[in-house]
Amino acid sequence: MKILVVDDSRVMRQIVIRTLRQSGHGGHDVVEAENGREGLEAVQREAPDLVLSDWNMPEMSGIDFLTALRASGGTVPFGFVTSEGSPAMRAQAEAAGAAFLIAKPFTPESFDEALGAVLGAHP
Amino acid sequence: MTVTLEPSLGDVHAVVEEVWSSFLGAEEPILPLATPMPPGGWSAAITVTGGWDAQITVNLTDAAAQAVTSTMLMCPPEQCSDEDLRDALGELVNMVGGNVKSLMAGSAVLSLPLVGHGDISPGSHLVEVCRLELTWRGEPVVVTVHLPPAADPS
Repeated sequence: MKILVVDDSRVMRQIVIRTLRQSGHGGHDVVEAENGREGLEAVQREAPDLVLSDWNMPEMSGIDFLTALRASGGTVPFGFVTSEGSPAMRAQAEAAGAAFLIAKPFTPESFDEALGAVLGAHP
Repeated sequence: MTVTLEPSLGDVHAVVEEVWSSFLGAEEPILPLATPMPPGGWSAAITVTGGWDAQITVNLTDAAAQAVTSTMLMCPPEQCSDEDLRDALGELVNMVGGNVKSLMAGSAVLSLPLVGHGDISPGSHLVEVCRLELTWRGEPVVVTVHLPPAADPS
């Protein structure tokens, strides 16, 4: 399987990728993008099985990325990894078509719980 | 009567502890001790605007900033560039600020982080309402929250 990790922070992308390994989901191919606009291009180019996206990014935010993705007919499972995990943010994410929202800071356990429901058992 | 919404020192402390323990302090926790902050160092700030206006700032010494970056990237400090520091400190204040914002009621927008070597003081329209002085690996770490001053009801 292929996972697209979208975050304007290289540091956070590395932490997400590390946490994928720690949570037992390190066997997947990983593709990276720096913002929502690059994420849209990467979805078309790479056909990932899951998108993990930050919310607050320059160029195009994560919520705008997801909205544009769904508007274009894209059905790839999408999850937010963001510093804001309030009920309002979770409701907005769900309404836009996100499967889950993982709040930063996160643990391997929270990753496994969210990804397991979407990707199934560990590869 | 004007009601000023502000996070409690305890809430901000809990947020910082959670961020630190998750990504930085598994072996060396951040301690509730005040250590004198020397001049210089790094500042990372993030603002909240809309239903709740605020600036959340994290101040660290050069040594603490390098340690944060090195720990997050899991690479030796000497391999961390200034760009890496800005990235790591930006993520640090993003997590602290985002979680503090999530504690407050109402809708508001979190900015992208601003990171610089030196002090990032908020504008004169904001006053300090919360100051958390901590120590990590012997280095001072200061987290502040600035809000608009409460309106004079008279």
